[in-house]
Amino acid sequence: MKLEGTYLFGETREQVWSTLMDPDAISSAIPGVEEFVPLEGEEYAWRAIAKVKMAAVSGRFPGQVQMSEIQPPTSYRLTVSGEGQGSIISGSVVMRLEEKDGGGTVLHWDAEANISGKLARIGQRLIKAAANMMSKRFFGNLARQIRAPA
Amino acid sequence: MAVVGKAVKRKEDPRLITGEARYLEDIKLPGMTHIAILRSPHAHANIVSINSERAAAVPGVIGVFTGQDFMDVNPLPCPWPAGGVDNNLNTPRALEVEKVTHVGAGVAVVVAEDRATAQDAVELVDVEWEVLPAVTDAEEATFDGAPQLHENAPNNVCMEWDCGDQSGTDAALGSSDVVVKQRLRNQRLIPTPMETRGCIAQHEAVNGEYTIWMTSQAPHVHRLLFTAFIFGVPENKVRVISPQIGGGFGAKIFMYPEYVLTTALSKKVGRPVKWVETRSENYIATTHGRDHVTDVEVGANRDGTITGLKVRTYANLGGTLSTVAPGIPTTLYGRMLSGAYKLPNIYCHVTGVYTNTGMVDAYRGAGRPEATYVVERAVDLVASELGMDPVEVRRKNFVPADSFPYEPSGNLLNGLSYDSGNYDKALDMALEMTGYEDFRAEQAAARAEGRYLGIGLSTYIEICGIAPSAWMFGEGWGAALWESANVRMHITGDVVVTSGSQSHGQGHETSIAQLVADELGVSMDQVHVQHSDTLGTPFGYGTYGSRSTAVGGVAVWRSLQRIKEKARAIAAHEFEANVDDVEYVVNDEGVGVVQVKGSPDQSKVVGEFMGIATSAAGGWDLPGDMEPFLDETAYYDPPDCTYPFGTHICIVEVDAETGNVGIKRYIAVDDVGKVINPMIVDGQVHGGIAQGVAQALWEGAQYDENGQLVSGSMMDYAIPRADLLPSFELGRTETPSPNNPLGVKGAGETGTIAATPAVVNAVVDALSHLNVRHIDMPLTPSRVWETIQSRSNGGNS
Repeated sequence: MKLEGTYLFGETREQVWSTLMDPDAISSAIPGVEEFVPLEGEEYAWRAIAKVKMAAVSGRFPGQVQMSEIQPPTSYRLTVSGEGQGSIISGSVVMRLEEKDGGGTVLHWDAEANISGKLARIGQRLIKAAANMMSKRFFGNLARQIRAPA
Repeated sequence: MAVVGKAVKRKEDPRLITGEARYLEDIKLPGMTHIAILRSPHAHANIVSINSERAAAVPGVIGVFTGQDFMDVNPLPCPWPAGGVDNNLNTPRALEVEKVTHVGAGVAVVVAEDRATAQDAVELVDVEWEVLPAVTDAEEATFDGAPQLHENAPNNVCMEWDCGDQSGTDAALGSSDVVVKQRLRNQRLIPTPMETRGCIAQHEAVNGEYTIWMTSQAPHVHRLLFTAFIFGVPENKVRVISPQIGGGFGAKIFMYPEYVLTTALSKKVGRPVKWVETRSENYIATTHGRDHVTDVEVGANRDGTITGLKVRTYANLGGTLSTVAPGIPTTLYGRMLSGAYKLPNIYCHVTGVYTNTGMVDAYRGAGRPEATYVVERAVDLVASELGMDPVEVRRKNFVPADSFPYEPSGNLLNGLSYDSGNYDKALDMALEMTGYEDFRAEQAAARAEGRYLGIGLSTYIEICGIAPSAWMFGEGWGAALWESANVRMHITGDVVVTSGSQSHGQGHETSIAQLVADELGVSMDQVHVQHSDTLGTPFGYGTYGSRSTAVGGVAVWRSLQRIKEKARAIAAHEFEANVDDVEYVVNDEGVGVVQVKGSPDQSKVVGEFMGIATSAAGGWDLPGDMEPFLDETAYYDPPDCTYPFGTHICIVEVDAETGNVGIKRYIAVDDVGKVINPMIVDGQVHGGIAQGVAQALWEGAQYDENGQLVSGSMMDYAIPRADLLPSFELGRTETPSPNNPLGVKGAGETGTIAATPAVVNAVVDALSHLNVRHIDMPLTPSRVWETIQSRSNGGNS
């Protein structure tokens, strides 16, 4: 399943980039994250547990989050994998930042997600809508953090 | 007073409608344990390792087992490979050991004190997978470079099978005035019975006996597979009981890994084990149906005479073979491709293919719906090509009523023949009920207003009473297909019939009782039909292929004749008369009496207390060489199958704006031979039409490119609803089958066989003015709308 979209930030590209590279910002932006612990010896990989509710499936999905293909201050790939409730979720999103004429930053995102097991079978039609909603929440959360840096 | 032919209310219904019927889920045994199965989330993967430590530590868990724990249990058998050819067989095991070839294959099992604990703990079994690329389309799976599922099946081919006359058909197509070619997809369906599958097994260690309650359409066949093939124990060690069954549609015929697993576990843990399939599991672990990709070529002359039919089919069999999977798209499909027509040349080649999808096997109609779809679409394609009325093309090619028994050309039926038929008569009745000519005028008027009305015909035939053991043996089936019945008249005059066939909605307890009541002259209330327990019934091959009455019913009838003979002999002794002078008659009140011919004062009722039944069961005064009791068993193996037929007509209106198809009228004229209970036949026809219409318009299993089933819930997989269907208009002609003494043919599947092409033909007819010649099923609004749009923009099919 492929998903894509854009999100408009009022801030500069550098401000958005530094938030995107902040693990705390990422972990609190991903909906439902309950644990986000760096993997030993890895700078850009974390062990995570997320609570997910999608269609008739809900529960905790332990998994991994990883950043790669990092090209400051324009783009990187965020890869997520999780397993639980008889289902396997894996996917990655490439986020690319573009300065907008007249100020602000456009974030283009291209995601590919693979869903196996129970989640794939139940409410498949709802998954795309749910994924879109979750991505909106993710970027909305990010935007709030840029506006109110910790 | 006769009850055969009357719409007698069903004897089984009171317990069903009051909730007293006992289904598998209702059964609870002392000390019963419960299981949950870990199923593969991947369509194609190697099992690298399985770690069950976390699951085993959960309180309430009795044990966690993997495939390695069941290596002493044989893989499931495939007793019906395609006949006369090599088959590369791959069947499932109780749990898979090395690799999985479809989502839903079981790899581990948790046994626990209760179901919830088992289901929670199974989530904690850790499997390391090596995920492999998947292929889900049958034709693509045969291409070079496609992922390979099994070492013994190069290019994923299970078997190549053909029938008919290849060179004759090629020659005929080469010299025909027109040849029409079309690719037809017969999409995968998921049977979706109201009750999912289940199994409870109990093992008694002292005597090594298993008692297995299971959702089975064929308890004796299941016992046969358990004993001779899977566990290697004799028949007396396994008792299979099929409780009340909430619908099967074929999917409950087969042996499944879960049944073997549950049974093996009952011995391992030394306690009864219960497994009940969840609805979610049902979508991925119970067999699917259909899934053919077919290229058809049909040749015809200008006058509408069809000269040849050439069919090339890829049949998707799934990741592993279900019990009779290869037999369905070969014998029950290819051999039926002459349809109701006298086709001089037919050839069919089928490739059975493994793909990373759920197992495919018989689903209501089993092969005949697929064949009928090909034939009935082909006839309409010819009509469209020649600009003829589809009714006329059908009449031109029908097997004439005076040609029976009719043997299709090219030895297509491998020695069998259509028994009897009058195809024009059923067509005439259906056209009359429809008002066909008036409809054509209405259609033209509607088109002028921009409304798209269409009419579709399906003048189907099918094959029922699936039997002749010798013939089926030649078709690759590894057993026989006779049926048996035992009839006992007890001391009170009540009659108990035990039958090896099994009822899961068909109404055996009523229709068999009707036969017995008329034949013996007893009341319906006096007849008790028992089935579904291998301990209390004679061997039978089960209920499928619309065979219970045409084969099992005849076994009952034969037993009844023997009962009557013995009643006469006992009466002759009592009357001190010669047995040849004693007759068994059913009088005007419907009471069976034995009497001396020509002296009605010497007469005695048979089926009452102190009647002949009592003389026989008591046995106080019998000649020395006569055994007591009216108790007879008979076996029946028919000489040929039976061949029901009929005409279904569907009228649709296609919404030009949205592409939605609305069914305005549905007319069905079926000829199922002699009818025992017209209400039961109507019920079978109704349900069958609903399922057949659903395939045409709504249903379809969908896999994504990774082999994930994305239509795996009732939110995502369409099943027919009453509010989407019109009130069906049913008619019937009655052409008895000469192949059995009852004249019956079979009525369980006509609806699913006939309805699908009737609906598709109607939709194509509705859009014919847009040059539409074919649309693949299901004809969903979006698909129909897209077709309308592409044609309206000047496209052509």
